[in-house]
Amino acid sequence: MARRIQAHRYLTLPERGREISFKYNGKTLTGYETDTIASALMAEEVKITSRSFKYHRPRGQFDAEGHGPEVLVTVDDEPNLWADLIPLRDGMEVKSQNTWPSPEFDIAAVNQVTVPMLPNGFYYKMFHKPKWVWPLAEAQIRKVAGLGKIDIKGRHNKRRYEKRYRFPDVCVIGGGPAGLGAALAALEEGKQVLLIENRAELGGHSLFDLSPVSGSPVSELNGQPAYQAVQTLIEELADSPNLEVMVNTTVFALYEDNLVAAQCGSDMFKIRAESVVLCPGATDRLLVFENNDLPGVISARAVERSIARHGVLPDEDAVVVTTHDGGYHTAMMLHGAGAKVMAVVDSRTGNTPGHFENQAREAGIEIHKGHTVHRARGGRFVTGMDVGSPTGSDTTRSFNCDLLVLAVGFKPTLNLLSMGRKTPVWNIERGILQVNELPEHIYSAGEVHGNASFGRLLEEGSTAGKAAAQGAANPATSRTAEEIIAALPADIECGGKNHFICKCMDVTRNEAQASIGEGYDQVESLKRYTSMGMGPCQGKSCHEAIARLAAIDTGLSPEEAMPTTMRPPFMPTTFGILAGRAPHLGPIRRTAMHHAHIDRNVKFLDAGQWKRPEYYTTPEEEVKHVRTKIGMIDVSTLGKIELSGPDALDFLHFLLPGKFRKLAVGKTRYSMMIAEDGILFEDGTLSHVSEGRYYLSTTTGNQDAIMSMMMWWLTVEPRDVQVKNLSGANAAINVTGSGTREFLQPLTDVDLSNEAFPYMACREGSIAGVPVVMFRIGFTGELGYEIHYPAEYGESLWNHLLEEGKSQDVKPFGVETQRILRLEKGHLIPGTDTDALSNPYEAGVGFTIKDDKPDFLGKAFLKDFKDRGIKNRLVPYVLDKGVVIPEDGVAVIEQGKAVGRVTSSRTSPTLEQGIGLVWLPDGMAKTNQRFTIRNRKGVDTNAIVIDHASYDPHGERLKS
Amino acid sequence: MSFQLSCPNCGKRAVGEFAFRSEVLERPSQDDDFRKWAEYVYLRRNHRGKQLEWWYHRGGCQSWFLVERDTVNNTDHCSFWYKDLQQVLATEKEG
Repeated sequence: MARRIQAHRYLTLPERGREISFKYNGKTLTGYETDTIASALMAEEVKITSRSFKYHRPRGQFDAEGHGPEVLVTVDDEPNLWADLIPLRDGMEVKSQNTWPSPEFDIAAVNQVTVPMLPNGFYYKMFHKPKWVWPLAEAQIRKVAGLGKIDIKGRHNKRRYEKRYRFPDVCVIGGGPAGLGAALAALEEGKQVLLIENRAELGGHSLFDLSPVSGSPVSELNGQPAYQAVQTLIEELADSPNLEVMVNTTVFALYEDNLVAAQCGSDMFKIRAESVVLCPGATDRLLVFENNDLPGVISARAVERSIARHGVLPDEDAVVVTTHDGGYHTAMMLHGAGAKVMAVVDSRTGNTPGHFENQAREAGIEIHKGHTVHRARGGRFVTGMDVGSPTGSDTTRSFNCDLLVLAVGFKPTLNLLSMGRKTPVWNIERGILQVNELPEHIYSAGEVHGNASFGRLLEEGSTAGKAAAQGAANPATSRTAEEIIAALPADIECGGKNHFICKCMDVTRNEAQASIGEGYDQVESLKRYTSMGMGPCQGKSCHEAIARLAAIDTGLSPEEAMPTTMRPPFMPTTFGILAGRAPHLGPIRRTAMHHAHIDRNVKFLDAGQWKRPEYYTTPEEEVKHVRTKIGMIDVSTLGKIELSGPDALDFLHFLLPGKFRKLAVGKTRYSMMIAEDGILFEDGTLSHVSEGRYYLSTTTGNQDAIMSMMMWWLTVEPRDVQVKNLSGANAAINVTGSGTREFLQPLTDVDLSNEAFPYMACREGSIAGVPVVMFRIGFTGELGYEIHYPAEYGESLWNHLLEEGKSQDVKPFGVETQRILRLEKGHLIPGTDTDALSNPYEAGVGFTIKDDKPDFLGKAFLKDFKDRGIKNRLVPYVLDKGVVIPEDGVAVIEQGKAVGRVTSSRTSPTLEQGIGLVWLPDGMAKTNQRFTIRNRKGVDTNAIVIDHASYDPHGERLKS
Repeated sequence: MSFQLSCPNCGKRAVGEFAFRSEVLERPSQDDDFRKWAEYVYLRRNHRGKQLEWWYHRGGCQSWFLVERDTVNNTDHCSFWYKDLQQVLATEKEG
């Protein structure tokens, strides 16, 4: 029986705090505010916390480190959380996973009986022929094998994920004795220090270490028990103004240039530190023997933490299996809590008894030297165990215990030290895997380099912290003979089954051996074939056992049997954490008229970072309005670049494919932009606004790319040019429709008559006192004026025009409407109707290219395109009336083959039929040629190539 | 990629603030063979080791500069202005 203890013979128990209640699988249970979910469940006698992945074997708490898969739970609808890391909260709803109907009674546990062993590759070998069986089988298998269920309507999905940043001088990861020492030393050097701990409190394993401190660099701590000394240290740190402590925060990755990625709740911290000190510590080793996965088999530190920090005794009748003095420490911890320690089983013989071995003897605890565990017995949890010689040959004794404690040494938590970059090496002397060499400005200290006393760990941390603060070399570490815990004797070979190596994926030693027999005799291939170490713990529980046992079973030396690469993330990280709040955390850009659009119930469209009006009523209605009356559209998102200075014209001649020497003041010209590879990527207009002052408009999406390209050329070939990016400074409106002249004339000082201000001209002037530049261009196919003016007047001029235009029925229209209007005119949009392979001659805009200039962007490739001739063309088409409009991007089919592609396809409200632009082979791209479009559903539609635009083919409306 | 780059204007910043253009290439003249142009546009050395590159401080001062970067470990950068390129190359030769 687990129970809460009120007092302990050898230590002072901490305050429990307030009592709180929570739900577990629908039942209301109680715990205390200092509990984790796991400790509260333990106190409430929940022994079986989950069922295993493949066989649905009962599993219980093992190491209380947030590593093992046994304690994965769903909390408040959020799946796959580690119960042993999460502090208990009032009203929390906790559910077990991979069990139905409950962990205690699980129906799929028949897997253990009906399929006594599911060998590696079982499902695949069983169901891979015939081929159609696998998808069906997989669906069934997934139902019983797996983790928590994602609830997309769950409360946690409403959570706001934030990215946060820190820039400390020294970042110390791990709040145990070494980490505290490192933080103190760095603070003494005057550095800004960030100390990160993944549990709710600092102190690490020393919080339950009864050993008296000796050899501490902080002399007043000597003689105190470590669990008290560590509190003194923590209190000392609390007042440091240069220290920030983050608890309940897990560092999940360490990247180049000391970028530390950490998660705290739903916040992701990106920490950039001058130096990083890694003090991640070590966790209990896994011992592989028969039934080593039964609930009741538990690690030494899990027992010690549970008693000393939470006042919970896991069970009454305990046997401790050990290979070092630490096992006697655990025995004393149990003894002091009032448990019955039936025996300590120590594999060593003839060792000098340590501090706690002597205490255990005095306390009268039974000790069996030269023995180790052979098997655990029990059905749903441990009810007994057999012990015998470490060779596994003869079982000599049995105990009827309910707690089997493993204190068989520690495996360093190497993940952050390795992170895919540094390979661990086997340190034979210390009996551990170790990462010695670290990248510059990364330091490490503490138990990650092997077991040591509190004082020594503190000192080691302090040395590393000082080195980190000074940017000195990473100091070497050492271990004394007494500190070293010998590597395990060979793991137990006493027959039987259910020796679990990997508890996440349910892989036993028999299976690993069978796979080695099939030829997978290297650790990497063995891992891939058996899937050992590929479950939720990502090898944190088992990587050492995998390497150790693979060495024995393959005959490799321990040095050769290295564990597989440890990569980020250290803990599973949710997409929410990685993605953050807004998409890409990019800014949202709104035009100066944004709120005026909202007032008119606009539907917005995302165009890069911009919010643009897509339409206000319906695109069809708006198209008809522009064609018959007057419409206006917010085009403020256009790129607007002003070029001036003595070399401006020369620069434009180099950047653009056209010639502009004859572009007089007050004239505007349409131009392509061609990249060095000859591909057209952009179009716009260039206007000569006043003597030597040119105004280039670009599309919304390319303005930054064009600015940066201009800056690059001016860096490489400096010219006397001033480039002003007015994209944000100017707002712009296009007013269009046949009555526009009559509408605007009374409002402006610019003479709008066709003679004074013809098509493709520009004028400066004012409207309602606002300085404007007007361009007479016609993307929509109607008479139109594009008005550019300072953005601070953006909304007022927009509203002014709408107000003044009420009597002429002037109405706003959106981007989708504009797309239809231009398609009726057959105008292409670069990037929509063209792609990274579209050459300008084929796209039908060769007229903008004057290739008799000495040098300009793309000249060499344009010449090559010309030499090669035209193979495809972009042409406008119409559909028969009444047929279904195909989607953008569908294929043109000729004799069963795709020969072309539709780039834009819409219904024309003006013509009441389908129209579009299509890439066709040159031979087919002839006026009145019929061709077949196949839509996404596979339905064919006939279309016909037309000569010019389907609307106003000769541009009379535009120029009048 | 999580390293930091030094902008000659703004100092050390996370690489995400910058845009990479390419390794430094010499643009052929219009009299050159088309093959040379095709190589200029499409082929890159992808050198393993130190190489000269163009970077743009997109999320900052918007200036173009050169970086000598070790593509093996992404550390040990040296940043400078294009106008100082000849001087840097000369110093390197001496060194």
